[in-house]
Amino acid sequence: MADGAALVRMVRIGKRYGGVQACREVDFTLGAGEVHALLGENGAGKSTLMKILSGDVTDYDGTIEINGQQVSFGGPTDAQSAGIAMIHQELDLVPGLSVADNIFLGRELRTALKTVDRRRMEREARTLLERSGVKLDPRRPVGELRVGEQQLVTIAKAISLDARVLIMDEPTSALTTAEVERLFEVIRELRRSGVGIVYISHRMEEIAQVADRATVLRNGQIVSSFDPRKLSTAEVVEAMVGRPVQTMFTTPDTDTGDELLRVDNLALRARRPRPGRRDPNGISLTVRSGEIVGLAGLLGAGRTELLETLYGVAPAGTRSGRILLQGQEIHPRRPRQALAHGIGFVPEDRRASGLVLFHSILANTVVSSLPSYGRLGVIARRMERAASVRMADRLRLKFGRLQDEVGTLSGGNQQKVVFGRMLLTEPKLLLLDEPTRGVDVGAKSEIYRLLGELAGQGIGVLLASSELPELVGVCDRVVVLRDGRDVASFSTADSGEGDLLAAAMGQGEVFEEVGGAQ
Amino acid sequence: MTVQDETAAATPVEQSSGGVVATLFRFQSVFGLLAVFIAAIIFSPRKDGEILFISADNLANVVRAVSEIGIIAVGMTFVILIGGIDLSVGAVLGLAAVGSAVLMVENDWGFLPSVVLVLAIGLVFGALQGVATAMIGIQSFIVTLAGLQIARGLARIWSGGQGVAIAYGDGPHEAPDSFAILGERTFGGLVPIPVLIFAVVAIAAVVFLRVSAFSRHLYAVGGNEKAARLSGVPVVRVKIAVFAICGLLASLAGIVHAVQLNQGSPNDGIGYELDAIAAVVIGGTSLAGGRGSVAGTVAGALLLGVLNNILALNNIDSNIQLLIKGLVIVAAAALQRLRPTS
Repeated sequence: MADGAALVRMVRIGKRYGGVQACREVDFTLGAGEVHALLGENGAGKSTLMKILSGDVTDYDGTIEINGQQVSFGGPTDAQSAGIAMIHQELDLVPGLSVADNIFLGRELRTALKTVDRRRMEREARTLLERSGVKLDPRRPVGELRVGEQQLVTIAKAISLDARVLIMDEPTSALTTAEVERLFEVIRELRRSGVGIVYISHRMEEIAQVADRATVLRNGQIVSSFDPRKLSTAEVVEAMVGRPVQTMFTTPDTDTGDELLRVDNLALRARRPRPGRRDPNGISLTVRSGEIVGLAGLLGAGRTELLETLYGVAPAGTRSGRILLQGQEIHPRRPRQALAHGIGFVPEDRRASGLVLFHSILANTVVSSLPSYGRLGVIARRMERAASVRMADRLRLKFGRLQDEVGTLSGGNQQKVVFGRMLLTEPKLLLLDEPTRGVDVGAKSEIYRLLGELAGQGIGVLLASSELPELVGVCDRVVVLRDGRDVASFSTADSGEGDLLAAAMGQGEVFEEVGGAQ
Repeated sequence: MTVQDETAAATPVEQSSGGVVATLFRFQSVFGLLAVFIAAIIFSPRKDGEILFISADNLANVVRAVSEIGIIAVGMTFVILIGGIDLSVGAVLGLAAVGSAVLMVENDWGFLPSVVLVLAIGLVFGALQGVATAMIGIQSFIVTLAGLQIARGLARIWSGGQGVAIAYGDGPHEAPDSFAILGERTFGGLVPIPVLIFAVVAIAAVVFLRVSAFSRHLYAVGGNEKAARLSGVPVVRVKIAVFAICGLLASLAGIVHAVQLNQGSPNDGIGYELDAIAAVVIGGTSLAGGRGSVAGTVAGALLLGVLNNILALNNIDSNIQLLIKGLVIVAAAALQRLRPTS
């Protein structure tokens, strides 16, 4: 591909979010008929870069040229009319509308009388779907479809825009092998017709199969660019995680005590399976008191679902296997029971499921431990206040007054409030789901310090995270999940990020390769 | 502990006080009530130099007139605080009024058993609606819309389709005199008993929301149900209890209604649910849940009562009264949009 013929040329792109430099002087080109894979860990800057290209992010440094013409998008609509379409990881479909209605949403075909031409839309939708290799009735409501099918509908929709540049963010995350094969055929066909495709994925074997070129981003910068067919997976993984594990992880190596939690071949068959959920399908692991055990795995590996099952908030269904807490079998069915057993949970999305943002710091901290501040259902105001103050001190919460709305705090301090609430219940075991997501570096290191402190007090921690450095740095041991099963377990003393990533991606031989190299 | 802290902790709602503007908004309904009250004094007709509106008798009447709606609105506040709505309260009031009349007049039940049974019916009716919305997961709007029809139907069946007049005495088909006391006045003939009942209910609710652990759970459920559940709040139990309380208060209002009108009619309380919701909204409670207070609701109910009274004193056409009431509700809601958010 000659550089002069570049379809897209992004030059010295930079973007800063508050204190975080998401992209730094990134040069990125895409040729007509090229499939360019974009790789990197979560937070490496892939999404930001593509949001800039698709017009979602409009204030950035650097320039973008399309076919040699410098452009400046005011929004996604501008990018679309320049022929750039993005298939988001979160599917933007309207569940109540039919497949055809979704494909033509906002640009419905009209009859001579200006009414919506349903028949023509259905016909064209059918053709489009066939082109994408899907057999689907275009009249079916999208909400009825499997996630994989929905993903294919968004792809068909993107194709229908006749885009010259197609950005696909993890397009195969919910597809079956057969569907992936068909998608690749579509991609090859698009490539032949001169469409440029940016392909974001974590799956190495797909990239080797479909991409012409691959670029690895790390900390907002390009660290390497290569021909995916020529480089081994091990080298790619190394490029992705290749920084030294940060010194911010200062968890002391505490002596671990007796076995606290034992999960034995735990599986859950939901009565009404929800698309996109990967309920436990035979997971065994243990956590000792004072031990921090990490849960690694790709998106959809079932980390959150395992924690939810242990905390008693999984969907109704048949559970098999056993959960033992200090040798006693338990059957947590609701959070109250789990809390009574001494199990605490910090959910992934603190704004949606952790906090009442417009309630006070005080109210949010004490809500899980209310009965202990008084008698007969009457709250002793002084006691709850004292508890809240004690927790704020312990967590070094930065706040004005206890009655301030919790929503006015920074992300890190909000997270501390959720932690504090759980700690006030005096748990033996803490289940943490991405506890440092959206938290600034300072608060992050304080959370790590806290985890070390808790472990020192004999609390067991099960920590799900997609940040490999965090898992390796904080945990004593990491269990890797894939497709709802535990597939590997590492001691962090003698394995690194590469091992985890390889196991999570299901590259057995790579794991051996990297593991052997160390 | 300072007074400010007390109120702040009591309602986990508007504790981010600070500045005059915030305080103004915080007590919006109280200031609204004050404004309407002053306007009422100014526009009140006078007789021999006496301002009719602020005569003790008239003021007692104002509060007596809002006592039924006020009692209902207290229960409605609880329901709206958890993010729900209860459309059945007017019909439950009718059912309770009919129940009181039928039990005491036709069945010759005593005062206490009648009142206890009627209150129990309201409580159970509300609790069942709570079960339907909390355990089956039907939206409370729909559950209570159905509950409205059912309660109304039950009232028609129980009364035989027409009003049952209440006569007092010791003979057959006469209600006990002890029941009549509920409609009288006390404290030297100054304070109507219904006003006393309303005041007791309101104060009990304010205290309850201030000191109980249950109230923290209630605000949490309304503020973010998912977060509340993950925090170990017994969401289902809270919801059922709240609907039960609302049903109980609606049937209490029905008893008060029956004694004031000396009859129980299956058509009693039609549209009361809307007046109750209006009082709650004017009182600053958010229909989205998790934010609001009973004190605001009481102020809202009184504001509507004063407004009705002054319009009536000036012989304003009742249709115009409706228009003005509507505008006041919109104005109250608009003011809340202006509330500074921190």
